[in-house]
Amino acid sequence: MQITKLKPLFYTIIVLLALVGSVMYFASVFSGILLILAAAGLYFVYYGLTEGKGASKSLALSFLKSLLIPVIGVVSALLIGGIIMGITGYNPVTAYKALFYGGLVKNWSVSVLNAAPLIFTGLSVAFAFKAGLFNIGAEGQYYVGAVVATFLGLHFNMPPLLSIPIIFLVAGLLAASYNYIPALLKVKTGAHEVITTMMFAQIARYLSSIFIRGMGGGSDGPHPYVTDPILKSNWLLKMKTIFPSANYRVHIGILIAIGMALFVQYILTRTKFGFEIRAVGQNKDAARGQGIKVGRNIFIALLFAGFLAGFSGVNQVLGLDHKLYENLNAGYGWDGISVALLASNNPIGVIFTSLLWGILAAGGQYMSRTVQTPNSIVEIIKGIILFLIVAKYIYIHIGHKFKNKKKEEREAVK
Amino acid sequence: MSGIASILNTDLLVATIRLSTPITLAAIGATICERSGIVNIAMEGIMIIGAFFAAVAALFTGNPWIGLLAGVVAGGIFSLIHAVATITFHLDHVVSGAVMNILSFGIVRYLMVMIFGHPGTTDAIPVGLKAYQFAIPGLSKIPVLGPVFFNQTPIVYMSFVLVVLTLIFLKKTKTGLHLRAAGEHPLALETIGVSVYKMRYLGVFVSGLLSGLAGAYLSIENSVSFTEGMANGRGFIALAAMISGGWTAIGSFVAALFFGFADAFQVRMQVFKVLNIPSEIFIIFPYVATVLAVAGLVKKSRPPKADGVDFMIEKEGA
Amino acid sequence: MSKVTKITVVMLVISMVFAGLVFANGGSEAAPAAEKSKVIIGMATDVGGLGDKSFNDGSYQGLLDAKADFGIDARVVESKQQTDYVPNLSGLAEDGAQVVFAVGFLMGDALIEAAENHPDTSFAGIDIFVDPSKAPKNVEGLLFKEQESGYVAGVVAGLLTKQYASASDRLNDDNVVGMVLGMDIPPVERYQAGFYAGVKSVNPDCKVLSVVTGTFTDQAKGKEAALAMIEQGADIIFQIAGLTGLGAINAANEAGVAAIGVDVDQSAVAPDAVITSAVKGITRAVYLTIKADLEGTFEGGGNKVFGINEDTTGISSFNKWDSIVPGDVKAAVQKAIDDLKSGKVVAPASRKEAGYEG
Repeated sequence: MQITKLKPLFYTIIVLLALVGSVMYFASVFSGILLILAAAGLYFVYYGLTEGKGASKSLALSFLKSLLIPVIGVVSALLIGGIIMGITGYNPVTAYKALFYGGLVKNWSVSVLNAAPLIFTGLSVAFAFKAGLFNIGAEGQYYVGAVVATFLGLHFNMPPLLSIPIIFLVAGLLAASYNYIPALLKVKTGAHEVITTMMFAQIARYLSSIFIRGMGGGSDGPHPYVTDPILKSNWLLKMKTIFPSANYRVHIGILIAIGMALFVQYILTRTKFGFEIRAVGQNKDAARGQGIKVGRNIFIALLFAGFLAGFSGVNQVLGLDHKLYENLNAGYGWDGISVALLASNNPIGVIFTSLLWGILAAGGQYMSRTVQTPNSIVEIIKGIILFLIVAKYIYIHIGHKFKNKKKEEREAVK
Repeated sequence: MSGIASILNTDLLVATIRLSTPITLAAIGATICERSGIVNIAMEGIMIIGAFFAAVAALFTGNPWIGLLAGVVAGGIFSLIHAVATITFHLDHVVSGAVMNILSFGIVRYLMVMIFGHPGTTDAIPVGLKAYQFAIPGLSKIPVLGPVFFNQTPIVYMSFVLVVLTLIFLKKTKTGLHLRAAGEHPLALETIGVSVYKMRYLGVFVSGLLSGLAGAYLSIENSVSFTEGMANGRGFIALAAMISGGWTAIGSFVAALFFGFADAFQVRMQVFKVLNIPSEIFIIFPYVATVLAVAGLVKKSRPPKADGVDFMIEKEGA
Repeated sequence: MSKVTKITVVMLVISMVFAGLVFANGGSEAAPAAEKSKVIIGMATDVGGLGDKSFNDGSYQGLLDAKADFGIDARVVESKQQTDYVPNLSGLAEDGAQVVFAVGFLMGDALIEAAENHPDTSFAGIDIFVDPSKAPKNVEGLLFKEQESGYVAGVVAGLLTKQYASASDRLNDDNVVGMVLGMDIPPVERYQAGFYAGVKSVNPDCKVLSVVTGTFTDQAKGKEAALAMIEQGADIIFQIAGLTGLGAINAANEAGVAAIGVDVDQSAVAPDAVITSAVKGITRAVYLTIKADLEGTFEGGGNKVFGINEDTTGISSFNKWDSIVPGDVKAAVQKAIDDLKSGKVVAPASRKEAGYEG
């Protein structure tokens, strides 16, 4: 077969197309979508050529199948949201037109900016889930990451290529160590991590205020609820410097986030550590039987989850705000839970669910601005989507009923 | 400067009760819920729903008692979403609770805009439940304890009674026994012919009623209007109280009092500038206490065995 | 094809039709077409802004007044999180708004950023200080001398709490007044410093308490702070805390003492308890700014300071307390206003200037 020899070539082209396309697209250069589509098309063609005709078709089908529940959930939630709007006197068609035009086109850059921190917290929650843990306190680790990033960003005067990775690393490690006590308690006393990390999140939320005031202008400064701006050398690179036509606010944080998602996926599927994590998450006793150290893995998993959530805070401080505000938490930790659940804890899926959440948030603001429809409808739609998609048992339930009915019918015919 | 001594007075204790009442109510509700085996982190959301409907009903009928009823019922009905999701559809309890909290913010804000034309706060209700404060003759004359416990407002009295009732219900009644069994040994309960589903539905519903009552307290007894940020984390403090109280009604009550005291103390420290400590140090107190409790400092702080454990009955060919 | 796949395909088609509907106008602006001919004036508020019955609602009222008089298309958007500031302000400009208002101190940086990127739109920030040396020419800060309002309110409180305490049952003999603060931001501090100075100008021995609650939305906290001060003998509570302050007024009302409202006339919250309100003319400032822009006289690149000489600071009428407040107090209020107007008295703008440690 001649074609298999070309495998490296095909893959290089596909990856390059996808990569450049994505970067362009995320930088709000919309022609990037063409490159992404070309990459996908090429992949299907190559797959068909090597595996035979039926293969690419079945690949497409399995792809469609995996979209089944998400699509049903999102579409039904939108329909229900539309009905609610209709009943309460808003025009759902105008509202949705604004919502999606805003989220996907007009304010796409905002959607991307919203998605980046969510990917990190989503990954954090998803990774912990894989180990059978519920990191409900990602919000707290976010604060730790943000506070540390601000502190280092204010004082760390070095070339960006050196300082930024160090800030990410240090803030990540400190955020990870913020999960040290919950992890220790989980392993030693069995204290449930939902309780401990949630309590730690509340503690971080309030203590961060003290640090923020400490890093602000002092009593004579502009006001005590925001820190001073970080050094310009510690800002994340703006997409505009790569693509002049990009929105000036979008920074490379989204690419770091996606890179992190791929890295987490790699760890989970290709390394021994990932295998052990998943084994522990599926069945602790069986894992123990295989000689896996359960406690050690749980410990590391919680710490790594903290590490990932910490990145979210760093991303916001270095990339977007360049300072830290008090009492203005956007709830990335909570939303991180949502996006992880929606993606069934699949790291790659988290990228897409975060984008969906980002689009809904950005589009919601656009909608309320242009057609003056309350954007709280977006919160309601989000809630419905979650219930519809996460409660997979609803489908199994309905499926059972459906099957039983068929069975009865068949028996009746007999 | 008179110092700390001037803070320690009867008023401080009255304030403690005032601040702890919503926490107590939500915490004993959570105790019943978790005793039945369903984890409930949705108290914050249910409180908001209860507070909102209580204020709206009181505003439109002019009668705070109807508001009270509306708040309680709204809390109960809203909590049924959690029950259906976790019990019937076997959704993870923490997940459902988190979603409930998200949903409640959206629902209330949407309704605010719909009914009042703006988010934020409702108009003031004509009469609040505070107007029905009454001193119990005789008892209220006891020094210190009198004004603290026997000269109170309706929902505060209710909270005292409900603590006792919950205690009796869980310990002494047959239904209470069954409900606890649903949280400890669901399979055993099912074998003696009692529906675990029913017990768990009951647990969630009752906790919804109580969280709704806690919300009503915030909006129509302690205040005279509903404000969006009203619950301000009290649902989570209630969770902390329940855990620190070792999943028992009396423990939750004591923990809630303790947290209320810390809050009341904190405000007074600020008024008098006794010590220049950031108020946050006091605000985080309940959360630190909870971590210490689950860390083993409170010996009996262990959840029911089947708490958060899904229970599914396989019905063959049903 | 299996059933599952069929369903997926159907759902995908539905969603595509849906998307088609959404973009039916060829992705044109989703703004309502009927309004297009009118001048658009936009306003973006802070998180949890609208419906506070004071600051934000006062700003919005200015927009509505302008709508009634000039027939503009008034649009308001509330930020859901702090990252929405810039997109909302920029977005309003991109939607074709002629003037865009940022309501609230915390939106300062976002306002400058949006203004720099939309040089053809006029921007105005309420309570936002615009640095004339750095700011672009299309942005204007609308500032108020809150200290003057606080000062006059302080004169009322300082006299009523002791000297004229017999005027109402709600006042006691203790020489104590209290303030409930929201977040400790400059406009709040200006009110606080002015109030303190006002009290001290007529009643040097008065004890002035204050509590920073750190939030503008927690009624229970405001109530608790007010009650803690009432326990110490405070009989007049000045609230500077938005929604939190509603709890403080409520506490004063229930405890049988008096309160002073903030930003707008808050008498309606508790007519029996609210003596008066320390007001600032946000509504008027917004209205005047719109008017100026429509007439082509908008001046950017600096700040417009509204004070007592523009009749934009001071106190509201006494409403239900009009018959209770003694004539001597009213005379003292008038004197304080005159002194401020003539410059004979300058109200301190910070705690430091006022010599107050609170």
